[in-house]
Amino acid sequence: MIKIANMHKVFSTEEVETTALNGIDMDVRDGEFVAIMGPSGCGKSTLLNILGLLDNPSEGSYEFYGTEVAKMSERQRAQIRKGNIGFVFQSFNLIDELTVYENVELPLLYLKTPPAERKEKVEAALTRMNMMHRRNHFPQQLSGGQQQRTAIARAVVATPKTILADEPTGNLDSKNGEEVMNLLSQLNAAGTTILMVTHSPYDAGFAHRIVNLFDGKIVTEKVHV
Amino acid sequence: MLKNYLKIAWRNLAKNKVFSFINILGLTIGTTCCMMIFLYIMNEFGVDKFHADKKNIYRVMRGFDMNGTKLSVPYLSGPYAPALLNDYAGSIKKAVRVMHNYGLVTLGNNSFNEKKLYVVDSNFFSFFTFPLVSGNAATVLKDPASVVLTETAAKKYFGNQDPIGKIVELDKSLKLKVTGIAKDVPSNSHLDFDMVVPISNYANEEWIKIWINNNNFTYVLLNDNVQKASLEKSFPKFMDKYMGKDLARFGAKMDLSLTPMSDIYFEPHSAFDNVKHGDKKVVYIFLSIAALILLIACINFTNLSTIRAVERSKEVGLRKVMGALRNHLVYQFIGESVLITLISCLLSLGLLKVLMPVYNHLLGYSLTISWNAAPLYLFLVGVIICVGFLAGSYPAVFLSGFTPIQALKGKLKLGKGGSFFRQTLVVVQFSISVFLVIGTIIIMSQMRYVKNMELGYNQEHSIVLPVNNDMYNNRQAFKNELENLGSVASVSYMSGEPGGFFDMHTLKAEGRNDLVWKTRTEFTDFDYVKTLGLKIIAGRDFSGAFSTDTTEAALINRTAAKSLGFTPEQAIGKWVQNTIRDDKKRRIVGVIEDFNFLSLKEKMDALVITPNDDHRVVVIRLKSGNVTAALAEVKSAFAKISASYPFEYTFLDQKFDELYKTDIRQQTILSIFAGLAIFIACLGLFGLASFTATKRTKEIGVRKVLGSSTQGIVVLLSRELLKPVILATCVAIPAGYFAMNSWLQNFSYRTPMHWWIFAVAASLTIGIALFTISFKAIRAALMNPVTSLRSE
Ligand SMILES: Nc1ncnc2c1ncn2[C@@H]1O[C@H](COP(=O)(O)OP(=O)(O)OP(=O)(O)O)[C@@H](O)[C@H]1O
Ligand SMILES: [Mg+2]
Repeated sequence: MIKIANMHKVFSTEEVETTALNGIDMDVRDGEFVAIMGPSGCGKSTLLNILGLLDNPSEGSYEFYGTEVAKMSERQRAQIRKGNIGFVFQSFNLIDELTVYENVELPLLYLKTPPAERKEKVEAALTRMNMMHRRNHFPQQLSGGQQQRTAIARAVVATPKTILADEPTGNLDSKNGEEVMNLLSQLNAAGTTILMVTHSPYDAGFAHRIVNLFDGKIVTEKVHV
Repeated sequence: MLKNYLKIAWRNLAKNKVFSFINILGLTIGTTCCMMIFLYIMNEFGVDKFHADKKNIYRVMRGFDMNGTKLSVPYLSGPYAPALLNDYAGSIKKAVRVMHNYGLVTLGNNSFNEKKLYVVDSNFFSFFTFPLVSGNAATVLKDPASVVLTETAAKKYFGNQDPIGKIVELDKSLKLKVTGIAKDVPSNSHLDFDMVVPISNYANEEWIKIWINNNNFTYVLLNDNVQKASLEKSFPKFMDKYMGKDLARFGAKMDLSLTPMSDIYFEPHSAFDNVKHGDKKVVYIFLSIAALILLIACINFTNLSTIRAVERSKEVGLRKVMGALRNHLVYQFIGESVLITLISCLLSLGLLKVLMPVYNHLLGYSLTISWNAAPLYLFLVGVIICVGFLAGSYPAVFLSGFTPIQALKGKLKLGKGGSFFRQTLVVVQFSISVFLVIGTIIIMSQMRYVKNMELGYNQEHSIVLPVNNDMYNNRQAFKNELENLGSVASVSYMSGEPGGFFDMHTLKAEGRNDLVWKTRTEFTDFDYVKTLGLKIIAGRDFSGAFSTDTTEAALINRTAAKSLGFTPEQAIGKWVQNTIRDDKKRRIVGVIEDFNFLSLKEKMDALVITPNDDHRVVVIRLKSGNVTAALAEVKSAFAKISASYPFEYTFLDQKFDELYKTDIRQQTILSIFAGLAIFIACLGLFGLASFTATKRTKEIGVRKVLGSSTQGIVVLLSRELLKPVILATCVAIPAGYFAMNSWLQNFSYRTPMHWWIFAVAASLTIGIALFTISFKAIRAALMNPVTSLRSE
């Protein structure tokens, strides 16, 4: 259950103030698949980062599964993030010095999962993403699609309730993109809430609901049947 | 988790070879230097600490007044020790006399000059803790006809034979049986001997019974509850009791004091206290250098780690997104820096082990603490904790403070503050480097100055031979023989050669009956001035034409004339009388120009030269030409009159070098360390240069596409990096000037501090820095613009 009301985000630098979000109200139900769309610079990534507890809003309230998190410190947010939210980025963001296996293992290490259980979970996630055979490779040795599958494996390994994906197919060709979308749909079908930013109407078609942003405001919402 | 940290730390090290290399190399060199200096300092402070009774052992010092300044000398005469034991039976438990002597050791047909001969009371080995390999410490010197050798001496005299029970002959008069073998004296002892003989052999000699003589050091062992100060308070009565009459006769005042064993080593060195001495100032200089080098290495470490950490902002951001808390990251970064420190420490231990012999050679003695001593490891643990944690914590705290989104957004901006901080550190590093370079150059030029100074006497082609008994008895014959050799220019017997030992005696002088005038004395023959090439500035030299010169003439130096209140001309014809040596007054027949008969560290002193039979050395000036042939001739002349003595000679200029040996050694070590400091600082600069070049690759590419020349790019990159170096030079020059100015005050003769010294130091440092930077800058500038543009 995600609930945000009257959310604002203002970036102030020395010269200018940029209002990236300008009064957003939005609810996301458990198990929903929401796509966020809009022109470049309209505030999609900013919104997703705040939803993912990576950043604080300047104003407004944010209720994450019953907890008000808008005013929390980074330390408190970090505690909530752990195990509850998985991230998938456009540029994959794998740690170059770690192998596929170690990258996927990372969230479990921070959750202090015991070794045996960890191994089981990592292997399950890798198998599901069809990456087992590459588990000892380093990110540079993988194709874009493989890197993104690893990133998804990492996002799901701790079985979070919510996965946030910022243009997950942005750097991929259509075949690999399709594959990633299918994986996300399967995860959603299994009960995970998914919030995804995308420029592709095709990808947005996988979602239950499309939220359109313009200049930091929600302009239209379209619900699929 | 730990495994994960280690893994990533290791992979990071392996991946960033330049950074790891610079960090580890700099730290390794830094730690090794520090350990070397640490060992040296431990050795210095460990001197004489191995004696079991060190807390209660004191050396008795005799204080007197020298033309207004108080002097303290350790030389006492024979009767002191028994009298002290007798009068202070309740306070002084034991006393031992130690007389340093030379001796001729004869074994069958071989003879040796033994230069480290100690003549001591029989309790020497139980009083001090010099372990015996064989023999019983309590009884080994009981019998007068006994002798103890060190292992090295025993080997020298007897090779691989068992020395115990063998007979050696000393000075062709005493037959002594080897009763014990002592371990070699360690380098951290002010006492240093190879051969120890009981003083009881000389008990009936006249000289040992005379109170006013100077011949031995006297050490006392106080009872546990005795206060040094209260004992010293009663010494004036003691002196009055035994020396009252003598002192009144010579018009002198004397008192006694006690120096704790542990303080002896750091007392100033002088001709009157010719044991091994250390200089606390040198210890502090070395200590500061160690600290400075470590500081430079730490700065590299912090700077490079911070930069590296910034490059890893993506990793930091991701870890945060994955659930890492701030302290996880702090641990991770500190862990990595501890890992690097650990590697460096292990490497430096290895390096130290390899370099130890070289270092001992440089120092001129073996450090007694080995490279695997426990305190060394404590020091290393300290380094790991301090360097690893402190240097690692800045990047750790700095990086983990960013929100994940900032970190993930790609390169973190280090911000103005961070860059200012880094620049400041570079300024500190290079200030230290420039400072050390200035210091090294000034120390070197001071040494050269001292060496090349107008010494005022002829140092070249002159050899010095000690006068042995045979030679003494035939000295006129030997002199004639030498003078007839075509290769010898001049020969003179004297009590001390320039740079050697000069007595200090009390004289009376004309018109100053109240004045007790203390001066240095030289007892010589008529050829002194000629042989040493001295300059007469008033009057005349001694001359055979005046038959009374032997008993009635004296020469003095300019300082002596001045201290009597005369000009050189006025001094001629005035009388002086040595209160101990002369029966009647002597007339001053000539005044000579001052010459540096003492070490140049000591001030010019008054000198009175009189003909006298107290001849201890002979100086032979050779004609320039074939020195080897001349030496052979001198040797055969020597063999004719004293065949049983070995022919051992030194050159007069060698003797002079010997005086400055320690200074020269320290100077070498100092310049090596200074060089290393610059090297480490430049390693850091190289790291910064690579970082700047990488960071600005894209900018360089764009600029080149837009038409900038290669030189333009090199200048652009170098300017930024050279700024702190130049600033550092400005800071270090005045600091160096003041520090070195105060160091030079130690010397009586000082080299001027030329401006070029500072110019050289500045250009050397800036030059090396520029070279380091341009190496990277040129490579970056020469890169194909397409490559640089693609780099993001
Ligand atoms: N850290 C920041 N500081 C200042 N302004 C920022 C910052 N992050 C984002 N902005 C501004 O906020 C606005 C929204 O940015 P955001 O990244 O959310 O856009 P976006 O919708 O994700 O665009 P795109 O589709 O191109 O990714 C932009 O105008 C951007 O300039
Ligand atoms: Mg975006």
